[in-house]
Amino acid sequence: MSVLSLIRRGAAVLAASLALGSAALAQSGPLVSTEWLEKNLSDPKVRIVEVSVEPGIYERGHIPGAQNIAWHTDLVETVSRDIAGPEKFQALARRLGVDKDVTVVLYGDNNNWFAAWGAWVFDIYGLRDNVKLLDGGRKKWELEKRPVATNPVPAKASSFTVGEPNKALRARLTDVVATVEKTSDARILDIRSPDEFSGKIIAPAGFQELALRAGHIPGSVNVAWARAVNQADGTIKPVEELKKLYAEAGIDGSKPVITTCRIGERSSHTWFILSRVLGYQAANYDGSWTEYGNVVGLPINNPAGTVWGGK
Amino acid sequence: MSISDDSGALDYEPARRQAGAEPIRLPPLRFTAAAIVTAAIAVSIYLVGRHGDPAPQLQLSLILGAAFGFVLQRARFCFFCIWKDWLDRRDPRGLLGILTALAVGLAGYTLIYGAWLPDPSGVRLPPTAHIGPVGLALLLAGLAFGAGMAISGSCISAHLYRLGEGSPTSPFALIGAGLGFILGFLSWNELYLLTISESPVLWLPRQLGYGGALLAGLVVLGAAAWWLLRAGRPSEQETANNAPADPVAAIFLRRWPAWLGGFFVGLIGVAAYLRLSPLGVTAELGSRSRQLATVLDWLPARLEGLDSFRGCATLIRDSLLTPNGLFIAGLVAASFAAALAAGEFRPRRPNGGHALRGLVGGALLGWGTVFGFGCTVGTLLSGISAGAVSGWVFALGLIVGTTVTLKLGRRLRLLD
Repeated sequence: MSVLSLIRRGAAVLAASLALGSAALAQSGPLVSTEWLEKNLSDPKVRIVEVSVEPGIYERGHIPGAQNIAWHTDLVETVSRDIAGPEKFQALARRLGVDKDVTVVLYGDNNNWFAAWGAWVFDIYGLRDNVKLLDGGRKKWELEKRPVATNPVPAKASSFTVGEPNKALRARLTDVVATVEKTSDARILDIRSPDEFSGKIIAPAGFQELALRAGHIPGSVNVAWARAVNQADGTIKPVEELKKLYAEAGIDGSKPVITTCRIGERSSHTWFILSRVLGYQAANYDGSWTEYGNVVGLPINNPAGTVWGGK
Repeated sequence: MSISDDSGALDYEPARRQAGAEPIRLPPLRFTAAAIVTAAIAVSIYLVGRHGDPAPQLQLSLILGAAFGFVLQRARFCFFCIWKDWLDRRDPRGLLGILTALAVGLAGYTLIYGAWLPDPSGVRLPPTAHIGPVGLALLLAGLAFGAGMAISGSCISAHLYRLGEGSPTSPFALIGAGLGFILGFLSWNELYLLTISESPVLWLPRQLGYGGALLAGLVVLGAAAWWLLRAGRPSEQETANNAPADPVAAIFLRRWPAWLGGFFVGLIGVAAYLRLSPLGVTAELGSRSRQLATVLDWLPARLEGLDSFRGCATLIRDSLLTPNGLFIAGLVAASFAAALAAGEFRPRRPNGGHALRGLVGGALLGWGTVFGFGCTVGTLLSGISAGAVSGWVFALGLIVGTTVTLKLGRRLRLLD
């Protein structure tokens, strides 16, 4: 091999590694674009993980190299109605090859509903700045006709060690009651549909998990989660628009925010926007309406006047 | 005379001459009608691909439905007729076709499983595969479905393709099935609490591994085939059917051999599981019946646990076009086109007997489908292919239910 070709090869390797490094660095925010992700599919320091609602959708075609999380078994304790415990999460992260020095890109169907919920759980266990959402999720990836694969690629297991859960990111019933009793200055942001918020309906049609009462937590404000999303491609709206959207409801980052919905999953989408995109202090209340609305003796607001009882 | 050209490929003209067949001349009316229906299917496929949401899934459902309908009609793949051929004439060919479909399905599913769920020993089941609870209700479902087949003359998938042949019973059987679905939903909560809630969901690869489950399944199917070949009587038609035929006639005019039909049925089942969801023909019928009964306020406010099981889901869908709805539409339309071309579209005016047998048998089919989470396609074929014990148990109930009902009905001179 000539000296010239050696130099040429060395330069090429250097340029490639610089390009990779700068690409990874360029994505310092909480979102990555589909374009960036396609360019970085083979980067060993990028780990792509799908968290979709619909079972079987990952298996029938996913972003090449992506791993899969089944949210209803992997990220929860099914019997105690809790997020996955530290040991379970650690085992999952290791299996997925996730660690603090790896850029983790989460994506899924339904405008990243459950991908955002995944990011919330990841954050609780100490994986925050290196965890990103694919802006637009599956929807945009498919719209742009980018490649999908069906063959599984085993991930090289990591040696991730789980930290103490970050309790500041998770609101419990007592935190919510404290705002109702005005012993806390946190604001409650309810992201359900206006009809659920007003108490016209208990839950959208077809959902099994219900509360006995309809309405909302006193003092909470309503911004439906989907208003933060461009419906055309599922991407999250620009920062200025988001700030304006939430400021109109009195959420401007000056006070801590608690996001809530029916079971705490849609609200994690808004939590992600407030906490990660806008940098507000936000916690997600995963007990949500199915917990609060069912508690004996707690006050609720029910503008629609649908009160629990017989006919 | 060789029927291959120099490259070894089939040379059409010599093959046709060797078959001694006349050039194919379809009556112009039949040909035109079949061509129009085929063109309508093609245009629908195009339009669904352009305007459907989600377009790829809806379009592929329509395509696979059409393929399935064509294959069912060409091979006359009717589970009940096949069983009757065996009972009455010891003709094993149809049953060998079913065994072929199951073997192809089993092998194909195993191939897919290896990629989707490399380790079957954990707590997970492969996504969306039809693996149902095994218990008393499933056996009852099989018995009822079997009885319904004997009374109405077909299972649900065969009624659908026979709709395309102009059968006088099938429309009534499908209406009866809708009523049977509603009866099933009405009795659901009791049977759920009595037995289904505690019935185990058994998946063979979890105990035997993929290799073991595949081997066990193939050994059972192989043994059944061996026994059928030994105990069966060769049919007189067989020799006639084995005569070489014009290739076009062999595909479009003559009845396909059952094993070939079974091979394609198995293949379509595997394709559907790989790309969409396991093959099934009752989801749309079930969910529309449920929608109707809900609107009429006939059903209990809650059907406990019904929607948590796998199989042909009867969850009410809001959209007009559903994947299973298009699958059924494609099935009936393609069967109609195939029957037209083959001269097997023979509509008859239904009489009271057709209506009564259709409605009563159909109701049993519908009731059995609710508790079996599917029919001969969704539970027997897609279940056995999936390595589910529920598929085998349903098949057992089906065989007993059909045989007993048929023999009893004949003794009472109610069935022929």
